[in-house]
Amino acid sequence: MVFLSLSCWIRSRGPDRYWKVQEVLKHARHFRGRRNRCYSLAVRAVRRAFVYATKSRRIKKRNMRTLWITRIAAASREHGMKYPALMHNLTKSSVQLNRHVISDLAITEPRTFLSLANLARARQQEGFRAALGDGKEPPGVFSRVVFLQ
Amino acid sequence: MSSFSRSAQQWATFARSWFVIDARMQPPGKIASMCSIRLQGKHKPIYHAISDCGDHVVVINTKEIAFSGNKWEQKVYSSHTGYPGGFKQVTAAQLHHKDPKAIMKLAVYGMLPKNLQRRTMMQRLHIFADDELPEDIQANLTEELPQPRKIPRKLSEYTQEEIDAFPRLWTPPQDYKMK
Amino acid sequence: MTSRGTPSRFLRSVLQNGVGRYVCQLKRISIIFSKKAQSSLGIRDFIEEGVVDYAKKNPGTVVYVSPQSCRIPKIVAEYLNGNVREELVTNKTAPQISELLTKLTDQSGLDIIRIRKPFHTDNPSIQGQWHPFTNRPPTIGPIRPQKQDAP
Repeated sequence: MVFLSLSCWIRSRGPDRYWKVQEVLKHARHFRGRRNRCYSLAVRAVRRAFVYATKSRRIKKRNMRTLWITRIAAASREHGMKYPALMHNLTKSSVQLNRHVISDLAITEPRTFLSLANLARARQQEGFRAALGDGKEPPGVFSRVVFLQ
Repeated sequence: MSSFSRSAQQWATFARSWFVIDARMQPPGKIASMCSIRLQGKHKPIYHAISDCGDHVVVINTKEIAFSGNKWEQKVYSSHTGYPGGFKQVTAAQLHHKDPKAIMKLAVYGMLPKNLQRRTMMQRLHIFADDELPEDIQANLTEELPQPRKIPRKLSEYTQEEIDAFPRLWTPPQDYKMK
Repeated sequence: MTSRGTPSRFLRSVLQNGVGRYVCQLKRISIIFSKKAQSSLGIRDFIEEGVVDYAKKNPGTVVYVSPQSCRIPKIVAEYLNGNVREELVTNKTAPQISELLTKLTDQSGLDIIRIRKPFHTDNPSIQGQWHPFTNRPPTIGPIRPQKQDAP
């Protein structure tokens, strides 16, 4: 709750400069060295920290996506697939899971991820099977050619 | 819910495996890239850069690694001692003759990320020049990694039937003199 | 605001409150006001009209009404986990105070700070979390890898 008139009623709260300094130091208390108590050093560091924080809000999304991709790549390698092949064939099979969910599945529900990998592999080899094999689905995988417009 | 209790699950997930790779007749760069992925833990879906989830890798038979092309003579390993005139350059053959583990170690060291974790990861790399392993390492091994390159066979390793059965492009005439 | 400089917590509920049964987390509420001051006008109205209804409606909450010679009327709410929240109600009208009380009643008493992840589960895995032997064929488990049989 913002209470603006409270400060007017209290007789003496000390000089304004003190409170101005405290407003800055409040954000610098966890800094290292003299920057967490000396105003002239803290004010620059706090400004820089806020700039970093603003930029990092975007960078965080990028970093998280890189991490998910690394994890999915590791998990798909375990099943003998490469990451681009897996994602491409999942898209072609109309599996609309994003990388966050797939990487979480790979960690917490490994069997679900295994079946996703099997589906992608079946989709990948569909052309070969149609050309060389007897046109049957591999056992345990149910997929269908999906034409994406 | 899994059949483990939570703490057991945590221990199982972050357990360290020990991999063994046979470097006989293998290109050192390919072996090193396999090692570096496993030392960083990038082969696990739980990978995170700061969670220290790398595994141990044992490389054996580094005495018998195989460079392709003219790398044994022309690949140069440089170093500087820090003193004036202390710039040392040795070819791969000389370095390998001096220390059969060095090429493998340098290759892996160069492929690891350049941060404070690098020395820690290098401590999990165990290199052996031949195929004799100490008992304690032998007891830890969990998996053998497949070799990246198929070892070519020498002519002397083929049997006579296989040589005879090999298709010939050209049959030499009776009076042909082999050089 | 930096993420390190601000306090944060993870999403949680108090003992699965609301699943099956609900226990009101607000334990005690004290309304401190002045009998004469102009700024306590709204809360005096609220005490005349609504406080008895509120106390009847919430039997799990103790309501103290304490007139003091104070200039700033306030509501002090104490929660089951020991947290105490103090709300100033200067110059508020009776409906505003009633709204505020409803808000305080519904809260869990946990700190109101940045929540790091907007989702939480107690059982993250149904099939069992990944571990190094999940996708490894079971036959090579007990067998010690032999180096001599390499091709």
